[in-house]
Amino acid sequence: MRTTRAVEGWTLVPLERFIMESGARLALLMTPAGQVLAQHGFTRAVDVMSAAALGAAIVSSTGEIAKMMDEPEFRALNHQGVEHGIFLAGFETLRGRLLALVVYGTDSSMGLVELFFQTLKAELVAACPVEERREPVLAADFEHELNASLGSLFGR
Amino acid sequence: MVDEYQRLWETVTRDPGHLAFLPLGEHLRRRGELESAARVAVGGLEQHPELADGHDLYARILTDMGDFEAADEEWRVALEVDPHHPGANKGLGFLRFRGGDLDEALEHLENALAAAPTDQAVVRALHAVRDAVNDAQLEQSTDPISGASAQDLVFTGLAGSDEGMLLVDQRGRILGGRLRVPPTGDVSEPVAAYLAGATQEAERTSRMLELGEWQWIVGEGPSGNIYVTPPTDETLLVILRDRGVPGGRLAMLAERAGAAARQWLMRQSL
Amino acid sequence: MTTRFRLALDSITRVRGVHGALLVAGDDGLIIAEALMEKVNGKAVAALAASLAKRLRRSMEACKAGAPHFMHLQAQDGTLVVVPAPDGVLVVTVGDARMNVGLVRLEMLRAAEALA
Repeated sequence: MRTTRAVEGWTLVPLERFIMESGARLALLMTPAGQVLAQHGFTRAVDVMSAAALGAAIVSSTGEIAKMMDEPEFRALNHQGVEHGIFLAGFETLRGRLLALVVYGTDSSMGLVELFFQTLKAELVAACPVEERREPVLAADFEHELNASLGSLFGR
Repeated sequence: MVDEYQRLWETVTRDPGHLAFLPLGEHLRRRGELESAARVAVGGLEQHPELADGHDLYARILTDMGDFEAADEEWRVALEVDPHHPGANKGLGFLRFRGGDLDEALEHLENALAAAPTDQAVVRALHAVRDAVNDAQLEQSTDPISGASAQDLVFTGLAGSDEGMLLVDQRGRILGGRLRVPPTGDVSEPVAAYLAGATQEAERTSRMLELGEWQWIVGEGPSGNIYVTPPTDETLLVILRDRGVPGGRLAMLAERAGAAARQWLMRQSL
Repeated sequence: MTTRFRLALDSITRVRGVHGALLVAGDDGLIIAEALMEKVNGKAVAALAASLAKRLRRSMEACKAGAPHFMHLQAQDGTLVVVPAPDGVLVVTVGDARMNVGLVRLEMLRAAEALA
């Protein structure tokens, strides 16, 4: 499946546009806690969850390194492989900090992903609604919420 | 792999609507256990009737079972849910090709390629269908008097018209002309396919860098020069010449070929 | 920017009508060195020129013309020229529609040679 799905509707159009322009193969929009807002290209829920958890962990650990170096933050992280590259970056919105994890192939490039990520960021910041106050998620509700999110991400 | 398969079985047995039914059904299909695969797919679809991937899976199982009519129906449902679904477009492309409807087969495969540009199976299928389309067109359009095909008539009278000029549409489909390179022979198909991507890139580059509408691209290589220009909004003209042909002459040739192409296109629309 | 890179780019930007010249990592589409007018978005030029060059190279290889040593996109209000240099580097020039492409080409080929 190479479609774009979103739990939060306002993320869908900017992410679709980003995918079309950058030629990225996989993308995740998530919170620093690893909660996924939208995804493109993943076929299995387990892959989304793993990628989100790993992406959030990478940002968290590089954030700690930045603190040790008295850097305010690292803006983006790029890993270039032979066939694929990974781009991971964070940005601020009205709903707090969001992270984007992007995987691209040789038909795209780091430059294209970075270029169109700037547009994605601006469009998401503009589209982001003000956060509603949320009740804390109870353990009993957690699985239900998780399943509902996965359902949205895979077209239920 | 056995553990993974076992885990999928357990998950789906516990909850038939779990999305693990997709990899499990595919695994069973590949193993040839079609009845079991169909049961898993139907069980999953009962819980996820709007899941395009589920309909795609079931259609592939039905195709393996030889029930092409039911598979056709499933893929059409998948496309209703997700019009860009590459699997459903690929599947319908295959069924249309099998049924002899080459135009529709091309349409579906091109949609599949747009959604999954690196899928080599789609690229190979597209080549096969395009070859079949070209053969069919050649058969239909052979002029009984001169023996010339429609492909040869676009640039008649221009130097190198039968080997170094090509007219394609925006999606990389050949409209007329031909590119022949010794000793390889006819390279029109791959050039048309790749140029569609290059010209989309030219259009985007011009737009984003605020250069205005793009007019032409020239590439100079060690064994030849290529000149690409859009004679109309919906077509591309490609001129391929030996590297000794100067750029200015290439531009003049392109101007004349562009005029010929526009006239030919007008005649086709009458 | 090293002196070698600056000299290579300066000789290009001296040509009338040129808005900027860059050295770009071809595979990544990222800037290695740049000499640009203020209004030019270097990151966009680098990413888009590298992508265009990659796609045009595939087309030219498909028609057996070989990997291109010169690429020129002409648009109504501007011009983009790309010359591959050694080690996957691209020399990229952007300018107005009436830029002297002959002279720019000469300087870009020299710059590419100087980078060898």
